[in-house]
Amino acid sequence: MKSKIVVVGSGKVKKINIGKNLPLVFIGGPCAIENKDHTFFMANKINKICKELKINWIFKACYDKDCRSSINSFHGVGKDEGLRILEEVRKEFGIPVTSDFSDTAWAKATGEVCDLVQIPAYLCRQTSILRVAAMTKKPINIKKGQFMSPWNMKNSIRKIEDFGNNKIILTERGTFFGYNMLVNDMKALEIMSEDGYPVCYDATHSIQMPTSMGNISGGQREYIPGLVRAATASGINALFMEVHNNPKNALSDANTVLHLKYLKNVLFQAKTIHKLRLDIFKKFGKDNVK
Amino acid sequence: MLNKNQLVKDVMLNLNEFPVVKSNCLLKEALDKMNNSNLGILCIINSNQTLKGILTDGDLRRKLISEQKPFSAFFSEDAINLAINKPIIIKDNFSLKKAVVCMEKNSIWDLPVINNKNKLVGLLHLHHAIKVLLGL
Repeated sequence: MKSKIVVVGSGKVKKINIGKNLPLVFIGGPCAIENKDHTFFMANKINKICKELKINWIFKACYDKDCRSSINSFHGVGKDEGLRILEEVRKEFGIPVTSDFSDTAWAKATGEVCDLVQIPAYLCRQTSILRVAAMTKKPINIKKGQFMSPWNMKNSIRKIEDFGNNKIILTERGTFFGYNMLVNDMKALEIMSEDGYPVCYDATHSIQMPTSMGNISGGQREYIPGLVRAATASGINALFMEVHNNPKNALSDANTVLHLKYLKNVLFQAKTIHKLRLDIFKKFGKDNVK
Repeated sequence: MLNKNQLVKDVMLNLNEFPVVKSNCLLKEALDKMNNSNLGILCIINSNQTLKGILTDGDLRRKLISEQKPFSAFFSEDAINLAINKPIIIKDNFSLKKAVVCMEKNSIWDLPVINNKNKLVGLLHLHHAIKVLLGL
């Protein structure tokens, strides 16, 4: 299958190409938009790191966390306030922004602000969600459901294509292994890439232990760097990580977000391995094991 | 009674009588089509009706042995990925005798039939051909 390049960003923000043989792109930010000041603080910090490492990146933060374990958990600042903040981040830093959406009624507004529209993993096969995402005409980052096999994602791809959008990124974020536990099958990255669309690895959700702590999800973030190395060596086009300056007090995904202080190190490793992988292919040719 | 001048197009199955799918068809959908037709062959075409490949029972048998994927992964494959991309074909205005000789020479039972514009127009299936030839 011919590989496709997805371009994220338009207008005054930086246009970022994601695809085969291109530099690794980072998609990251706090899980949720907590408030404007914190969102700007995180965007600024990450932007500095990415500039220093010369990594193209897309700012990610969600305005509505509709799949929290508990009714009492922070749900988000809401669509209108959240999108306003994302729009300001976009203008201030000149970088593309992304958020997911969980309700068909939110898609249009999300697509009007976000350069990349994200589909939550739990909703990755919901036809009505995929339809309205496709209708935004924006690139779509679809998270592979934890309950989905990588080859079955083709059905979701076909739905989006059928609705007239072929700007798709597929993100691996772990697969259920019994109850309250995810594992990563690195083969999934290669399998999902067989359809030609760019593939992304979500390292911070991959170490999640879904709702393992009764009313919230747990996580084993000590495994984030190792999994990032494994996924990058395996072959990805983008790396997704949620980052926070104070994980303990993060309003969403406190047990899985990467502390900001580790971001530079992890991104440096990812960039280095990604480049090395491309160099190896240049020197020795592509894998040809039958 | 045997008619030596009989042409392929007089005997072939028409497009609605054998399984034909588009090139983005999943293997599961392709197998359903094959099962419904009771034929061991499926033709894959593009939007211009040009033949892109064929998939036969034998191709599937060989793939099942050579690629040890879970069945669910096989079912989600694009049928075209498992297909023969340059199958042996025959023109619709060729004689039936020539077609049967071709089948005999290549040990095959089915021949996709194309017209002068290289569009798929039918399928010559040996059983049907014999029936016609024998007037059954």
